[in-house]
Amino acid sequence: MAGSTVTRRTALGLLGATMTMPLALRPAAAQAAWWRAIPDAAALVGDAAPATDGIRIDLPLVSEDGSAVDLGLTVDRPMTQDSFVAELHVFADRNPSPEVAAFFFSPLSGRAAIATRIRLNESQTVGVVARMNTGEVIVGSRDVVVTVSGCLARVGGTAPGLMETRVRAPTRFVAGAPGEVTTLINHPMETGLRTTLAGEILPENIVRRFLAAFDRATVFEARFHRSVATNPYLRFFVAPPRPGELALRWEADGGLVADARVDLAVGA
Amino acid sequence: MPGETVVWLGLAIGLLFGAVGQYSGFCLQSGLRGWWGEGDPRKVRTFALAAAIALVASQALDAAGLVPLERSIYPLATFSIPVILVGGALFGYGMVLANGCGARALVLLGSGNLRSLYVLLILGVSAQATLTGLLAPTRVSVAGSTGSTFAATTLPGVVGDALGPDLARWLAVAVIGGALLAFAFANRAFRASPSQIAAGLVVGLLVAAGWYVTGHVGADDFDPRPVASLTFIAPIAAGIQYVMLSTGIALGFGVAVVGGVIAGSALMAIPRRQFRLAGFSGPGLMLRYAAGAVLMGVGGALALGCSIGQGLTGFSTLALASLVAVAGILIGSALGIRGPVSVAVPSQ
Repeated sequence: MAGSTVTRRTALGLLGATMTMPLALRPAAAQAAWWRAIPDAAALVGDAAPATDGIRIDLPLVSEDGSAVDLGLTVDRPMTQDSFVAELHVFADRNPSPEVAAFFFSPLSGRAAIATRIRLNESQTVGVVARMNTGEVIVGSRDVVVTVSGCLARVGGTAPGLMETRVRAPTRFVAGAPGEVTTLINHPMETGLRTTLAGEILPENIVRRFLAAFDRATVFEARFHRSVATNPYLRFFVAPPRPGELALRWEADGGLVADARVDLAVGA
Repeated sequence: MPGETVVWLGLAIGLLFGAVGQYSGFCLQSGLRGWWGEGDPRKVRTFALAAAIALVASQALDAAGLVPLERSIYPLATFSIPVILVGGALFGYGMVLANGCGARALVLLGSGNLRSLYVLLILGVSAQATLTGLLAPTRVSVAGSTGSTFAATTLPGVVGDALGPDLARWLAVAVIGGALLAFAFANRAFRASPSQIAAGLVVGLLVAAGWYVTGHVGADDFDPRPVASLTFIAPIAAGIQYVMLSTGIALGFGVAVVGGVIAGSALMAIPRRQFRLAGFSGPGLMLRYAAGAVLMGVGGALALGCSIGQGLTGFSTLALASLVAVAGILIGSALGIRGPVSVAVPSQ
């Protein structure tokens, strides 16, 4: 009886060890200066040893659909006039081009956090570099398993209502407290890597830039590359100190521009 | 959280489908056998009634603006007629070899039939291999080189310019739905069988319910994903994947339906004392069922759906691609039931 208990406990212990082992080993391996392999990331980080704590990356462990993988990023740093997260860059080094997107915050962002959907070609490590206005650099990375490549062509399927936008913002803000703004724009985000039935390459055609301005002052900006998924989805924060107007602008290839405006009401 | 509601409702739809399928023996394969060969003459009428009800109810949902059917995967502007037709035919022939489609295998598994477990595992792996695995690059390149683009995606769209979209829609629904109803109710045995009539009605309405759940209840302005309803090939494959990887992936509507069908069938079979374990009588039959399962998996993935997924759900959108797939499934089934390459009903 006692023997069987010990055996079971040992078995459980072994099971526990085998389950945690990959989790324990992977981040250490992944943190081994992944950014040095990507020139753009290496340039951002520079020679100094970056901080490795403080970026939370929300990615599914396993993605069934590499053409739209939910990505959430939060940089755990206060956002004040003196010290705030200025930039946040996302890289996926086993995509055809590793730059995915970059986000630029301001003190009026209130919180350095975004959510979007990205394309991943295969299982890989997604890397993130954040830079504070003070020059401090923080890096983070996370492994994601992709079961269906985002590059597996889906023939056809252009969304109706090109450049049509949707915006959702809180009905009322508390002065200075961050509130969540959710946006979406209909756009195919053609990568420039797909071919038509006739074998011609579909030219790259993407939304390049998203700007959010509060009373004409830019509070948030996003730059997209081809690895941002069809119909770019973006969630970010804004912390209006007073009632005002939030103007949103999307700029796409071919000179296409879409605008949206939201009045932000601020309560006591 | 609308995502969670969608999963629960998917489970409920699956439970109902499984229970009705177990009770009535709802199956296109045995229906076609009863029609073209020997067997129960009512079941093909049950399927026809389900198709007619699914058609009317789904088109009504679309017309009422509740479910945008054009956002489903079926009304393709660009598709390969040969790939979808051949895929459908492979599926139809495989369905005869394995003595029932994927949905029927789920129902039978719920009542203890272990042959179905074997069929489902092989079907799921073959389907996923075709969708995203070893066979996927070949599928993509063949579909790409044989594909063509059509001006209209649905049958009403073909005549829509001359008649206007509303008239075109209801004319198509009236003609096709009316023909199916006439076919079903012209049979005396079917007319005298309330349980078969009820099964056809319920299954048809479940297709519309699936559209409503994914297209209306689960609608998310900021996540415009395709709307879907009852379909079994990709969800069986996804279900196997979910069993292996559930810590890392979210449960979706299709997988919830698959689980529900097995459970619903078991819940119906046990009180009716019809739950009994059954296996293969010999290796010859195992080989035949394996071949059938591979053909269903590969064919179903090529045709974008099975006898339910294209035969009822795709059909209810009146998508041209679905009509091609249905034609393929009927051709493949006919080859399996009659003629030089036909196979007999397996004797267990």
